[in-house]
Amino acid sequence: MVPERIKRLLRVFCTSLLLIFATELMAQEHSYAPADIDNGRGLFQANCLGCHGDAGDAVDGANLSTGRFRRASSDEDLIRLIRTGIAGTPMPPHTGLSVGQVRTIVAFLRALPTGGGVTLVDDREVKIGNALAGEALFNGETQCSVCHGVNGGGLLLTPDLGGIGAQRSPGSLEQSILEPAAEVRAGDRFFQITKLDGTTVTGKLLNQGTHSVQLMNEDEKLVSFLKSELSDFNFVASPMPSYLDILNPDEVADLVAYMISLKGENAQ
Amino acid sequence: MRQFKMKFMLVIASVIVSASALAQVSPERLLNADQEPENWLSYSGDYDSQRHSDLTQITTDNVDELQLQWVYQVRSRAGAAEKFEATPLVVDGVMYTVTPPNDVVALDPITGRVFWTYEYTPSPEARVCCGRVNRGVAIHGNTLFMGAIDGHLLAIDARSGTLKWDVELGSAALGYALTVAPLVIGDKVIVGPAGGEYGIRGFIAAYDVETGEQLWRFNTVPGPGEAGFETWEDPEQEAWKLGGGSIWVTGSYDPDLNLTYWGVGNPGPDWNGDSRPGDNLYTDSVIALNPDTGELAWHYQFTPHDEMDYDATQVPVLVDMNWHGEDRKLMLWANRNGLFYVFDRITGEFLQGSPFVEVNWMDGFDENGRPNQVLSPTEEGTFIMPNNQGATNWYSPSYSPETELFYIPSWMDTYSVYTKREVTYIEGQTYVGAYPTMAMPALGVNQTNVRLREEGFGAIQAFDPQTGEMVWRFEMTNVTDSGVLTTATNVLFAGGREGSFYALDARDGTMLWRQSLGGQVASGPMSYEIEGRQYIAISAGAGLFVYALPE
Repeated sequence: MVPERIKRLLRVFCTSLLLIFATELMAQEHSYAPADIDNGRGLFQANCLGCHGDAGDAVDGANLSTGRFRRASSDEDLIRLIRTGIAGTPMPPHTGLSVGQVRTIVAFLRALPTGGGVTLVDDREVKIGNALAGEALFNGETQCSVCHGVNGGGLLLTPDLGGIGAQRSPGSLEQSILEPAAEVRAGDRFFQITKLDGTTVTGKLLNQGTHSVQLMNEDEKLVSFLKSELSDFNFVASPMPSYLDILNPDEVADLVAYMISLKGENAQ
Repeated sequence: MRQFKMKFMLVIASVIVSASALAQVSPERLLNADQEPENWLSYSGDYDSQRHSDLTQITTDNVDELQLQWVYQVRSRAGAAEKFEATPLVVDGVMYTVTPPNDVVALDPITGRVFWTYEYTPSPEARVCCGRVNRGVAIHGNTLFMGAIDGHLLAIDARSGTLKWDVELGSAALGYALTVAPLVIGDKVIVGPAGGEYGIRGFIAAYDVETGEQLWRFNTVPGPGEAGFETWEDPEQEAWKLGGGSIWVTGSYDPDLNLTYWGVGNPGPDWNGDSRPGDNLYTDSVIALNPDTGELAWHYQFTPHDEMDYDATQVPVLVDMNWHGEDRKLMLWANRNGLFYVFDRITGEFLQGSPFVEVNWMDGFDENGRPNQVLSPTEEGTFIMPNNQGATNWYSPSYSPETELFYIPSWMDTYSVYTKREVTYIEGQTYVGAYPTMAMPALGVNQTNVRLREEGFGAIQAFDPQTGEMVWRFEMTNVTDSGVLTTATNVLFAGGREGSFYALDARDGTMLWRQSLGGQVASGPMSYEIEGRQYIAISAGAGLFVYALPE
């Protein structure tokens, strides 16, 4: 007779094995570069949003945001289905899109919060250090945590990094530490306006139109300006300092490791 | 520690230092909202709920020069039939409103451009008697509060539009729903659920603004051991469990008396009271509560043992005036049951009650203000005035300290035939009885109007609280679901189901200006001022329309 404790351990072990294999399969199936997802988002907005809504959940019985698809199990199935359409339903064929283009739409769907998860691929060589050491740096010497929250805390002007490890590749994380201005997500861009009297206001860009621009200013207040009252308005590079000359490569590797470990509040 | 160039760090440090000192809506600001007429800090503009603006740029002389500044159109997430009932807040240069069903949007009040939107998809379980409507948000500090149609109360960061907390007040599947704009008093946010058409048991509750933790709860339908339970007289002692008592509109607050006043909805089932003998407190009542504890100070029941759906779903209007030679703290109330009341709001004493439309269900009051009811639903049907939708409803009235008149959006001389039928409670289904017939549709769905005047019409009526008599009336062919705004310059704004929005002279009802908005006005107008310019905002159809004088 096997003692209860051993049985429990076995169960845990077997479940872990399953998880490992499942993750492995998933990883191969849904490996996409961040650029694929961005391209896919654009194509989705241009071709799919009209019926499926911007969250992919607007069609009853065809919620695209859950990661489960009644008529497709693999990404290849999905690509085929999108290209051929579904006879007898309002879902038309999309033969005008190439397989490569449709693949990026699938990448976008998989990258939705509950879309099944994406393993990001990035061909940059990245050194990954110790996450605990990175966490200490993040909250200590680097002062990252002064601006960036992790599932809360931090500022409203700066992105919360709670789920950053699930959204970005190690290469892009390293780049953001060393060259913060190289790539800034659309929702995190900064703008500087200059009024006719020469005073300037810098803040996070929330909205812009032909005649006005809306920012969250440095006091985290919502402010709006008529362009007719401005002499200048421009995108400004990331206000985040580069850590290239501040941290040594091992410390950067530790920070990257910590970033990778941040998979979101509900991640297991 | 190593030194690095941190231009942004300096910025950040200034954020941290200044964040607490920056303009936030403190409880003190809400108490002194009359000191900042440029803002609109709560559903009715101020705790006294007079829906009266002290701004003076727009006058009876220049109101006809008003020009449309911008329109914000509701996105198509909601169906076309959803009504846009919210009154926006304007706080320090940002406008906040709720588009149906439950999307919160922060707008630039000068251009109408969007700062952010918070999209909430309510549970499809939500039971909706009267549209997936929402009347707006409340604010405390940098936090907005919104009740959702699925019974959730949400706290949202006013700067970033992100969720802070979300609590469920009651089960959507059992009919608990929130349509009311919450009321913030001190560090509490006070709300109560709708759902009286689904056999809910109503309540008003206060929640901690920081955490959403419930701090007190007052049951609008008392249970065993609670005062008022004796007015639910069925021998089985079951009726109270499904007793209704919804909260549909925002209450008021008198900080000197430290009392908050709320109107309570109808008892359930609506149109057959046989299962619930007794007065059915505190349905169809105004209740005065201590906002610190939820303790009841006094109550008055407008329609005891109601079988006509005469909810007290009105905003309590608090007025300090010389009344018959004496300075009094009064409460003015035009009720769905067709009667206009004046109360002493310290004690709840009934001072005066008189019809503001044709009324036939009662023929007078006793010395305590209890109505003498002479008609009720019967099996063969009873012709009763006013109709089931009421002589007025949730639409905000206004009081002007300038004219000392009370302005009532009125459904004139309507009637229903009420027929009594068996009612059975089935979880999650309507618990009402036989829907009364009426000439006037409850919802403004038809584009055309072929009714005759004797089948009912709409009006804005000015009443004198001293006498209970009408001073003037502006008549509309169709009825109105619009609230009323008055200003310190004697301009009155209101609208109607026809899609018209207009300005009247508050002194005599003369029409001064009108616009056709192409959609039903089912909201209350409000006013704000930015950079020396006064604006008037009104939600109508699927749009929010904003007017100002030419620059």
